[in-house]
Amino acid sequence: MKNNRITIGILGIIILGIVLFALNLFVGSVMVPFDDILKVLLEDNADKTLSVIIFNYRLPQALTALLAGAALAVAGLLMQTLFRNPLADPSMLGISSGASLGVGIVILLTGAISGAAVSSFGWWSTIGVSLAAFIGAVLVLFVMLAFSSRMKNMTTLIIIGLMIAYLAGSITDILKFFSLKEDIHAFVIWGMGSFSGVGTSKMPVFAVSIIIGLIATLFLSKNLNILLLGEMYAENLGLNIRKNSVIIILVSGYLTAIVTAYCGPIAFVGLAMPHIARFLFKSSDHRLLIPATMLIGMDMALFCNLIARMPGFDGNLPINAVRLLSARRLSFQ
Amino acid sequence: MEILKTSSLSIGYDNKTVVSDINVTLNEGDIIALVGPNGAGKSTLFKTFSTHIKPVGGKIELFGKDLNSYSPKERAKLLGIVLTERPDDMFLKVFDVVAAGRYPYTGMFGKLNEKDENEIKVSLELVGVNNLINRVFNTLSDGEKQKVMIAKAIAQNTPVIMLDEPTAFLDYPSKIELFSLLKKLAKEQKKAILFSSHDLELLLRYTDNLWIIAKNQPFAAGQSSELLKNGTIQKYFGLKDADNEYLLKEIL
Repeated sequence: MKNNRITIGILGIIILGIVLFALNLFVGSVMVPFDDILKVLLEDNADKTLSVIIFNYRLPQALTALLAGAALAVAGLLMQTLFRNPLADPSMLGISSGASLGVGIVILLTGAISGAAVSSFGWWSTIGVSLAAFIGAVLVLFVMLAFSSRMKNMTTLIIIGLMIAYLAGSITDILKFFSLKEDIHAFVIWGMGSFSGVGTSKMPVFAVSIIIGLIATLFLSKNLNILLLGEMYAENLGLNIRKNSVIIILVSGYLTAIVTAYCGPIAFVGLAMPHIARFLFKSSDHRLLIPATMLIGMDMALFCNLIARMPGFDGNLPINAVRLLSARRLSFQ
Repeated sequence: MEILKTSSLSIGYDNKTVVSDINVTLNEGDIIALVGPNGAGKSTLFKTFSTHIKPVGGKIELFGKDLNSYSPKERAKLLGIVLTERPDDMFLKVFDVVAAGRYPYTGMFGKLNEKDENEIKVSLELVGVNNLINRVFNTLSDGEKQKVMIAKAIAQNTPVIMLDEPTAFLDYPSKIELFSLLKKLAKEQKKAILFSSHDLELLLRYTDNLWIIAKNQPFAAGQSSELLKNGTIQKYFGLKDADNEYLLKEIL
């Protein structure tokens, strides 16, 4: 009976995901009739404009949402179990803040130095922003890894992560103070997050990097389960606490760094989705929670992306703005 | 059979010695109570035995080999612990907690085979809580939680089990029940059991061997009745003459 419940739950989440994915293709700021979309998908001689909208914009955006949602949600689960704290999420490692600082330096400093806004550099600016976010995130990740390999106390580690986040945030603020108006606008837009930044050209690298990280999490389930008993018990049962926390932070940080580099800081998926998985399946077994959290994260990101592109929002509403809507929905449940 | 042996062991943190010159052995079937006032070093000794901290000096041998030379996986199959700390996850089931004891024996994904499942059931039966197997651990009473944690240690299948303050939070009948459970484990399963406790009077009544840690006193070990008769208990616990008389009369 218990297995039935799990199967039905997982199937439900997958079906919901398929529906949301399809809606992501059909619905957008340009309304496309349903049968026209089927034509684009199934026939060769379809409308060129429609085909561009579907294949160059909506499909990559939906795929990005799918992968980013899974990555952030599972990264949040790893953090919550490692720190044994239900409020933990990927942003606790200071990684999003590191990414923001990287982007801040590129966007704001180039403006201040060259006198021209980065956005005026066109294609180069998007590559530059992704790269800067990634470098910023990875640098913070290395600092956190260095600390975690020396420390057994998880609370100290959380505090260090938060301190790094504040430090990076305040440097970003100082940069903002000296920057051009246009640059600050560009930076704020980046900070709101978007699944549209990946596109077809960058999709293969993004997808492969995320999938590698997601597969890695599956191998952590046994150690995460044992951590639920507390560190002292886990240690007595043969777990190497420091090595284990380095690996968990590495995997979680890697996923967060990649998503933040391509989509901006979208942390909220990481906090709530693991809890939904726990409550839905009434389980704390990570062999179930890891895949379930990934699937729920996918659904949530697709849902947010859909809302952000609803007809009427004229263009794209930033992803983080949808957070409010979804947070309200969750708290009513 | 000798299982654990310390020679000139000094324990403490970062070269700050808490207790020094501990020379004791733990044999198969032994059940030993570690007593002493708060802050005397009971927890430090437990942490040292569970290799959470390293000894400051001297050595600990487990089956004739230096305790700290075992790999974590090997050691996990020899020495199990029960702490006062409790898992507080919302959905963790009794089964999951006891199954954690099988961690050193399972493969990469922690899949339990028939033998593991059987060990889990047998451990729960041994402590008498097999009816709780599907309950959420967090919803149990303190006494039930204690028993489940002991079942975890039994499922871990180690020749040595160490319990930190197992009688804390328990009511009087549960304390007595716990002592007889530990005795049963020592006798029937041939396990060496070391546990710490504050309940001096209970220990004198129900356990045969004591290790005593006290501040500014050398580490003492021996039979409970002997330690009471020769005045060690009175000296180490700073008992008034009247109290000591009472214990002598009541217990011997």
